[in-house]
Amino acid sequence: MDFTLPKEYELLRRMIRDFARQEIAPLAKRVDVQEEVPREVIRKAAELGMMGVPFPQEYGGMGAGELGYCILMEEIGKVCTSTATVIGAHTGIGAMAIYLDGTPEQKKKYLTPLARGEKIAAFALTEANAGSDAAAIRTRAVRDGDDFILTGSKMFITNGPIADIVSVMAVTDPSLGPRGGITAFIVEMDWKGCSVGKVEDKMGIRGSGTSELIFNEVRVPKENILGQFGAGFVTFMKTLDVGRVSLGAACLGGAQAALERSIQWAKARTQFGKAIVHNQSIQWMIANMATEIEALRSLVYRTAWMVDTGQPFTRYAAMCKLYGSEVASRCISQAVQIYGALGYSRDVEVERMFRDARIAEIFEGTNEIQRIVIASDIMRQEGVRISP
Amino acid sequence: MRIVVAIKQILDPEGITVNRRRERIFINREERIINPADKCTLEAALRLKDAHGAEVIALSLGKPAADDALREALAMGADSAVLISDKALAGMDAPTAAMVLARAIERLAPFDLVLAGQTAADTGGDQTAGRLAELLGLPQVLQALELSLDGGRLQVVRLWDGKPVRAAVSLPALVAVSPLAPPARYPHGARIMNAYRQMQVSVWTAQDLGLTPEELTPNIESRGQVFPPERELGTVVEGPPAQMAGEILSLLRMRRLI
Amino acid sequence: MDFSLNEDQRMYVKMFEDFCANEVAPFAQETDHEEKPPLKQLKAASEQGFLGAIFPEKYDGAELDMISYALLMEHLGKACVSTALTINVHVALVGSAILRHGTDAQKEEFLPAMAAGEMIGAFALSESGAGSDAAALRTTAQHDGDRYILRGSKAWVTNAGIGQLLLVFARTSEEAGGKGISAFLVDVDTPGVKVGYREKTMGLRGLVTNTVYFDGAEVPAERLLGQEGQGFAIALEALDLSRVGLSAICLGAAEAALENGTRFAVEHEQFGGPIAYKQAIQNMIADSRAEIEAMRHLVHFAAWLADEGDSRLRTQAAITKLICSEYAMRIANRMLQVHGGYGYMKEYAIERIYRDLRAMEIAEGTSQILRFLIARDQFAPHGISLRP
Repeated sequence: MDFTLPKEYELLRRMIRDFARQEIAPLAKRVDVQEEVPREVIRKAAELGMMGVPFPQEYGGMGAGELGYCILMEEIGKVCTSTATVIGAHTGIGAMAIYLDGTPEQKKKYLTPLARGEKIAAFALTEANAGSDAAAIRTRAVRDGDDFILTGSKMFITNGPIADIVSVMAVTDPSLGPRGGITAFIVEMDWKGCSVGKVEDKMGIRGSGTSELIFNEVRVPKENILGQFGAGFVTFMKTLDVGRVSLGAACLGGAQAALERSIQWAKARTQFGKAIVHNQSIQWMIANMATEIEALRSLVYRTAWMVDTGQPFTRYAAMCKLYGSEVASRCISQAVQIYGALGYSRDVEVERMFRDARIAEIFEGTNEIQRIVIASDIMRQEGVRISP
Repeated sequence: MRIVVAIKQILDPEGITVNRRRERIFINREERIINPADKCTLEAALRLKDAHGAEVIALSLGKPAADDALREALAMGADSAVLISDKALAGMDAPTAAMVLARAIERLAPFDLVLAGQTAADTGGDQTAGRLAELLGLPQVLQALELSLDGGRLQVVRLWDGKPVRAAVSLPALVAVSPLAPPARYPHGARIMNAYRQMQVSVWTAQDLGLTPEELTPNIESRGQVFPPERELGTVVEGPPAQMAGEILSLLRMRRLI
Repeated sequence: MDFSLNEDQRMYVKMFEDFCANEVAPFAQETDHEEKPPLKQLKAASEQGFLGAIFPEKYDGAELDMISYALLMEHLGKACVSTALTINVHVALVGSAILRHGTDAQKEEFLPAMAAGEMIGAFALSESGAGSDAAALRTTAQHDGDRYILRGSKAWVTNAGIGQLLLVFARTSEEAGGKGISAFLVDVDTPGVKVGYREKTMGLRGLVTNTVYFDGAEVPAERLLGQEGQGFAIALEALDLSRVGLSAICLGAAEAALENGTRFAVEHEQFGGPIAYKQAIQNMIADSRAEIEAMRHLVHFAAWLADEGDSRLRTQAAITKLICSEYAMRIANRMLQVHGGYGYMKEYAIERIYRDLRAMEIAEGTSQILRFLIARDQFAPHGISLRP
């Protein structure tokens, strides 16, 4: 059993870490206050291949697989959750849907510019009455000759305000329900009828735009059906599944950053005549954080390996997201506590990290849904079917 | 145009602390990096390649781990890489190391330009570039910041007494690049993958270079190290910025300085 | 043991409910989103006598007992934590110190004006190098004939930016630790007093907290509160009462969180019905409700101890604050999770309550310091004397 990272991944990690530290970290506060990840940062990241890490080089990607992608998300997650979210929604689910289920022509036409970061992707599933219950979506795609007419609106879509290409789930046959009645489509946001609706005002990840997407009788050609007609449910489940692993990696980065800051602060801050690290309470916090981070690290990278070697990983991906989001929240809250009153001040990074972290327990499938996925997967092997 | 770039892999100084009181060096974190000046040197070579088209050969004398430094050079855009690595070459002094490098560079002839970093961040001897130029019989320009090609001559902006001045030199030549030169580009991720998965690093031994044991006998014997004494600094204020600012303000006020 | 509220207290509850529903709750979101000091809420509160809540009638106070005060803080906390804390600092920290230790002249000079809202009190104890280790403060008050000259700076002074009266703790003698500290009543507009930077915080965005500088400010000797060297003891006593108020605020905010979560669970449908039918949601609601009941009784017991003048108050206030602040945060966290994605959006009150409550585990004694105090009390009868 060899747990060492292949050397190219060590160099990749170092390059991304340097980039994140120099190009992204200094802007993190501004990203939060001005509510935007600068296009310049995305462009520089794209120039180094960071917008298409897991995709093959043949389609403009880096060819670094899920392992490389988790490394990216971890390193970016350490410095700026908003940036990690923009990249995550773009690569991890938006473009990923096209990579998993697209035809070679679709990959050439859409995946390549997305992998190169020339265009931005989003993944549009959620609606006002269909959050955890994703199968309850109502956006309709009605056949019209060879095309489909898409009508409806999506809610809480990450990258909504900036997306060029969106993977959209719509109902093609209301009588069939989710199995057979939902189809995935690739939609270009500059087509007639597509618009961005309400942009949300959020607690954190304020540099990542979250909005409504409105489709008003948009004509979608049949060439843009993504995956099998009527099998949209499968496409989106597959995509969300793999998306969870890298989200776990981003959470790992956030937790790691919280630990590092806690250590530095605990060394430097003195009260009662000594550095606060000499209090067992603080030592315990550091030890507990470090232990959970190690456990999460092993879970995430082993799951990434399972993805890259074609093994079933659904349960483990859900664990990555569930455990990762909770570890990040715990570690970051501990970091705020270690900083004391300063941890509550917007002048200090851990304050922003605390607000940013909270969403991870909710989006891309709430942690309640993740537990259902895990329990269902376990019980399925026991011959018991669990419904939500 | 053929450019040979000599690079050195060192332990990251950021992972090392020096305790002057206890006269000890602690390696807290062992991470190997390309010597910072050498990264600037690679960048200078790659800029010439971008502007004029050139073949860039990265060369390093070191332990087997220096393979990683060369892969990084390949990922940045070098066309090929050579590692000189041999147990017989362990523990060389600066003059001997320069001689070995010169031997390897001769083997890479013909070349138009040899680039090296001005200073190694670990040993700080500043000798290698000058020695190489002498051994190879090349005109040398040191402390270079910017390089460009003009006809057949190399135009160099270099530091002279801390100020930038222009120099020009005919090729072939040796230029030592200052660590203050423009920082290196980030290597593209796909090239990082390919540098390890598809490209090769040639490995040369002492025998390949025809080096004899006499040639490899060191001229300098290291007898120990001495630490400079600590100076009395006055009140040291430590801590995170917000706390330090408060304390400094307090101290200034207590001493009626403001 | 009679657990019922007396007739007065029941009448007060009705009054507090009405007041908060009309004068405080409707402005809570605006106070937070616009970071507006709750001046109109304060004015309305002064008209009801709340700004002199515990002062005797002879000083124009409402002469509430501590249980009634706790009920007031609970209702205010439920409506708007920023407003509640503003009043708690004014009444329970500054007001109570003057009440307990002021000369008759001082009480006459300050308490009626405070009750009328003409003078808002701010509490200046912490410094950038003296947080948990408050006794390490370095602001000096040099006795010079008939005045004291103040030099130094205070951090995290709640109400400084909207207040007229500062209760300042400064060193009057070389004696180390608490024994060298004295308390002073300082007008904000004294020459040499400068109210500086207003803190930008994660939550409590309606609270006004500033750094205050003292550059040779001259304070008449009549403004010494209590004796020289008594300052630290005065601060600790004031903190006992304010911790009761703060715990009541946590209780109220937790109740608001539970109400919001309950309503959302009843109204929001997924998987064929309201999410209230999901056991995971039920568990979150049940745990929160149980914790609120525990908090309620702890708060009332501590308030009763205060009314009885019982010396157990010191440790009990610490216990109450520790439990209430931690439980309240947990409850807000669960209720945010119940809201799903909506809980992360600023339109929903739970988003603000969550950010507000994070401060409570830090302000007025971090959970870590409180644990130390409780353990010290536990071990003291056994001959073990703990030092921080």
